Amino acid sequence: MTKENTKVKVAFFDFASCEGCQLTIVDALQTHLSLLDVVEIVQFREAMTEKGEDYLIAFVEGSCNRKSDEERLFKIREQAALVVALGACAHTGGVNALKNIQPSLQETREYVYGDKADWYEVYPTRPISAVIDVDAFIPGCPIDRGEFVKVVKNVLLGKRPGIPDYPVCVECKLKENVCLLLEGKPCLGPISRAGCGAICPTYGDGCEGCRGIIPHPNENAMKDVLDEAGLTLNEIMARFTMYNAYQEDQIETAEKTI
Amino acid sequence: MKLQVLDKAEISPLVEALMEDYRVVAPHAKGSKFTFETVTDPADLRLDYDTTILPPKKVLQPTKDRLATFTMGEIPQIEDVLEVTPTVVFGTHTCDLKGIQLLDEVFSRDFDDTKYTAQRKETFLISIECLSPCDENAFCKDMGTMTANEGFDLHLTELDDVYVVDAGTEAGEELLAKYGSAREATEAEKQELNQKLGAKWPKFNYKLNFEAAKLPAMLEASFNHPIWDDMGERCLACGSCTTVCPTCYCFNVADEVDMLLTQGTRERYWDSCQLEEFAAVAGGENFREGRAARQRHRLMRKGKYIYEKFDELGCVGCGRCVRTCVAKISIVESFNTIYNGRK
Repeated sequence: MTKENTKVKVAFFDFASCEGCQLTIVDALQTHLSLLDVVEIVQFREAMTEKGEDYLIAFVEGSCNRKSDEERLFKIREQAALVVALGACAHTGGVNALKNIQPSLQETREYVYGDKADWYEVYPTRPISAVIDVDAFIPGCPIDRGEFVKVVKNVLLGKRPGIPDYPVCVECKLKENVCLLLEGKPCLGPISRAGCGAICPTYGDGCEGCRGIIPHPNENAMKDVLDEAGLTLNEIMARFTMYNAYQEDQIETAEKTI
Repeated sequence: MKLQVLDKAEISPLVEALMEDYRVVAPHAKGSKFTFETVTDPADLRLDYDTTILPPKKVLQPTKDRLATFTMGEIPQIEDVLEVTPTVVFGTHTCDLKGIQLLDEVFSRDFDDTKYTAQRKETFLISIECLSPCDENAFCKDMGTMTANEGFDLHLTELDDVYVVDAGTEAGEELLAKYGSAREATEAEKQELNQKLGAKWPKFNYKLNFEAAKLPAMLEASFNHPIWDDMGERCLACGSCTTVCPTCYCFNVADEVDMLLTQGTRERYWDSCQLEEFAAVAGGENFREGRAARQRHRLMRKGKYIYEKFDELGCVGCGRCVRTCVAKISIVESFNTIYNGRK
């Protein structure tokens, strides 16, 4: 495994994002040096100048926010045997998708870019899985470096990535945190994907669902619980949509507002 | 052994002395709640706690526990991890004592779980009598756990100035003799003890509308009761009810390997029947796909299945699942609804 020619070639790409997930990987490369025993990085704009196009696994950070970005994603998909969505933006559309639920995409564009709005190409935000097939995702804003290492290991072993499908409450309870919801504070822990070690509730901040929503969440019950915690409908919706605004069926409507 | 007493001021020195030779685990304050933690300073110990977030089962079945290490060469080497930490659990309530008694059965009756039983052998339980209910959610009186005659090594009951200490085992007697400075109880103290134990009884209320002994038969006839759908509608499937339960013991086992695939560890960690993946098997079938089926399974375990296997009800009435549920699902209310609506 340690021989240079047996290393798996990987590349990192970024779209609309803060690049925080890639920075987390730079961190992970320093704390988990053994990563470099099994992979060879051929392209990583955030961290190196070289640009190799011969890669087996592509890690993609960021959401797709422009029609013209789709072409780049298609090329990555064509080259890579495995595409891994890296972080909330690539995985769920992330906070970028908040623009999809504004009344007018054109007004949002003008609000952001002012009188230069027309210079900037915009279309409704999509997670990369809405543009190309994605084989695995590493959730979170930002990703957890330990989880990144685990996913790399599992993928190289030919196993499932090992991302939990259960909610944050499980990890929060195992840490014996005092439940924020029971103290009347808003938290999306019961329906949000675990794997973060319940880091926000551990430090007293309610979960915002950055790792996406679990499969088959009981959203009605969650709304009732947040209502009980004293949140208004608007506040509840704001919390639900912070990281999870993207819905497939909103694209058509949103596109008409530009 | 004759009843002994410890002056209240002697508790700290006892704990301190035990700490020389044991890990002492006891209730500590955590924000507005309490948790069992390893004592580092006896002054932090809180015998006046109401209940803890997780029960003391975590001492015997750690939330994540290493079972083995292995190498992955041509001839793999596997080595059991059986390190045991001599431990005294100080200040368990009698409901949790019952929970541990049940776990002892689970992990030793049909199959000796060497990991559990090895730690259990080196774990001593010093329990404390609850003289008033911890809160409105406990239903220990219904489940017969508001006091204990067995299951402890030492049992404390608080009087005005002293703790009465009852030894349940020889090991308990030896612990007290070696580490404590107890003296024999006086007649007056024995009278005060009886008075206190008598006075506590009416302070606790029954919460079930029926005798708990009727649970297995009642649940037997309730498999298709509409309440399960109602619970399924409200349940978030967050798994908190089972995580905090002193008698839930389900676990999963997974291997973790190093990056170069030269060695790894086998870990077991708590699992929950309330989580969607719990009953999913290869091929995609899930035997308890809906939340209603999962909640039914939990209540059936507590009131029927465990009884059928281990001759004891699977619920000790600690009330933790009720307290922890953000959707306000109550096992007491659910059992009462079934009882009240039966034909």
